[in-house]
Amino acid sequence: MFLATRELKHSKWRFAMIGMILVLISWLVFILAGLGNGLSTLSAATFKNMDAEYVAYEEGSRHSMSRSVISENLVEDLKASGDVNDAAAMGSHVAVVLKEGVEDDSEKIDVSILGVEPGSFLEPAVVAGKPLTQGDNYQVTVNSSLKDKGIEIGDTLEIEGFNETLEIIGFVEGETFNHLPSIFIDLEHWRAIHFAAPGSDMGVEAPVNAIMLQGDGIEQDKLANALDGIEVATKKEAINGIPGYKEENGTIMMMLGFLLVISAFVIGVFFYVLTLQKANQFGVMKAIGASNGFLAKAIISQITLLAIISIGIGIILTYGTAAILPAGMPFALDSTLVFSYAIILLVVSVLSSLVSVRRITKIDPLQAIGRVE
Amino acid sequence: MSGIQFKNVTKYYQDGAGTKLTVLDNVSLTVQPGELVAVIGPSGSGKSTFLSIAGALLQASSGEVIINNTNLTQLSSKQVSKLRLDEIGFIVQTSNLVPYLNVLDQLLVVKKMKGKITAADKAFAKDLLKGVGLEGKLKKYPEHLSGGERQRTAIARAFMNNPDIILADEPTASLDSKRAFEVVELIADFVKTRNKAAIMVTHDERMFSYCDRVYHINDGKLKLVEK
Ligand SMILES: Nc1ncnc2c1ncn2[C@@H]1O[C@H](COP(=O)(O)OP(=O)(O)OP(=O)(O)O)[C@@H](O)[C@H]1O
Ligand SMILES: [Mg+2]
Repeated sequence: MFLATRELKHSKWRFAMIGMILVLISWLVFILAGLGNGLSTLSAATFKNMDAEYVAYEEGSRHSMSRSVISENLVEDLKASGDVNDAAAMGSHVAVVLKEGVEDDSEKIDVSILGVEPGSFLEPAVVAGKPLTQGDNYQVTVNSSLKDKGIEIGDTLEIEGFNETLEIIGFVEGETFNHLPSIFIDLEHWRAIHFAAPGSDMGVEAPVNAIMLQGDGIEQDKLANALDGIEVATKKEAINGIPGYKEENGTIMMMLGFLLVISAFVIGVFFYVLTLQKANQFGVMKAIGASNGFLAKAIISQITLLAIISIGIGIILTYGTAAILPAGMPFALDSTLVFSYAIILLVVSVLSSLVSVRRITKIDPLQAIGRVE
Repeated sequence: MSGIQFKNVTKYYQDGAGTKLTVLDNVSLTVQPGELVAVIGPSGSGKSTFLSIAGALLQASSGEVIINNTNLTQLSSKQVSKLRLDEIGFIVQTSNLVPYLNVLDQLLVVKKMKGKITAADKAFAKDLLKGVGLEGKLKKYPEHLSGGERQRTAIARAFMNNPDIILADEPTASLDSKRAFEVVELIADFVKTRNKAAIMVTHDERMFSYCDRVYHINDGKLKLVEK
């Protein structure tokens, strides 16, 4: 630290420049990470929230809810097979709804209508109102984001192209699916909505889209073979099967990866060039007794200090940006995410300094003794 | 026995074609504590090579170099840098101060290499700097010092760890004659009062009066010069 801080102070502008680059890179990294997090929440929150480890689909549906139709009767068969602790069926349906009494078409809301068995582990807890019951009515619990659209408990929603209305009895939180807010309904009524067109159930008895399974270490192939016409995916595979999820996530991860590599190079090269410039100086210090460790510590602590300050400023800027982003933007920063990317950036910076450290160990103290000048 | 001892030291460089250039040929020499020895010789005669071997920066091709009872041939690189830190003070060229350290820190960094800087170290550094007439410039950076002031800082730095051996390579090269005398006088004074064994490479014959002995190096041989 002795050398590190003194040099930082003495060559403020030089280090301010590289610090600025690091600030901008970390700012961008945090924004992208927040965006990626926001998008994946929007796309798969309901799947991520659910307390299940595996998902059974129709054979050949390639882990997609929308391609899969199986019978709810399989739930009992699945529960009976060895490793499965519990199972619950689920159906999804994309719809456009409009609050009853509102005429303005611009108030229409796209939603995911999800059918679940009331009381099963798939039904999320309500934060307001009542949970679902096995009833005769089209009663639903909806994601709390619909409050922003002026929807309250007791309101009814018209579904486009369907002549029954939904009665809102409760709110759930953080439930989105397929980039749309989730609406939960009992399976019986979900079926009525989803398979409204005659014959669209393809003759399957009590059709659902998928059955979620609880149980650790289920042997996917064995289970799929034991029962006719199903395939079994892990929750992770199921999430990747949500349309657009893999692509979105992949793009953002790739950008983040590139940014980290770029920052490693920028910092690495900057300090390497600086080290080359200072070769003679390091030689002198070695001649008067500095060990490699002493000089390496100086450079590593310098980079660490610079990185911590820059990343810190980057974090402040990111929260500043988050505060002014429009509310509807899929941007979700949580402190663990910010913290983990901050650590990654720091580690990348420090690792990039190792080239310079290697260079230092090779500098010959002979340089100090009036020979090489 | 403390001081510097060269026993039949030979140093040759091998170039790419495989021809040998013998720079030091069977050199033997002893410098006792309290002695200041000058080494002169034409350019390319091997003065810097000789000093580098004495300072454990370069390995002799054959023969033994003993610094303060430590035989340099048997040391690991870590031990060598520790030896340089503890036992040897180098006075190198003007440009060789660390540009971003002020005069006081130039000295303190030597202590820092060993670990912590104590209040006693600070007092000692100030004392040394007072000895070279720099007590008023403790907070100045090298870029704001004159050539002579920089050289005097380098001298004070060489004494910072209280080493037993002082090695100086052309300490007066970039100074005018008035400054040159001052600097050599300082070194001589330090060597005598603090009982160091010192070798100084110089081109300047006027400095011989400060030295106990003068050696001339030519064709790899070290010869005592009668003053
Ligand atoms: N690494 C090396 N490889 C090969 N030859 C070298 C090497 N270093 C020095 N020499 C040669 O060894 C000889 C002695 O070099 P040295 O630097 O010791 O001379 P010097 O007496 O200090 O000269 P000057 O007064 O010009 O500084 C020179 O002929 C030089 O070319
Ligand atoms: Mg020389």
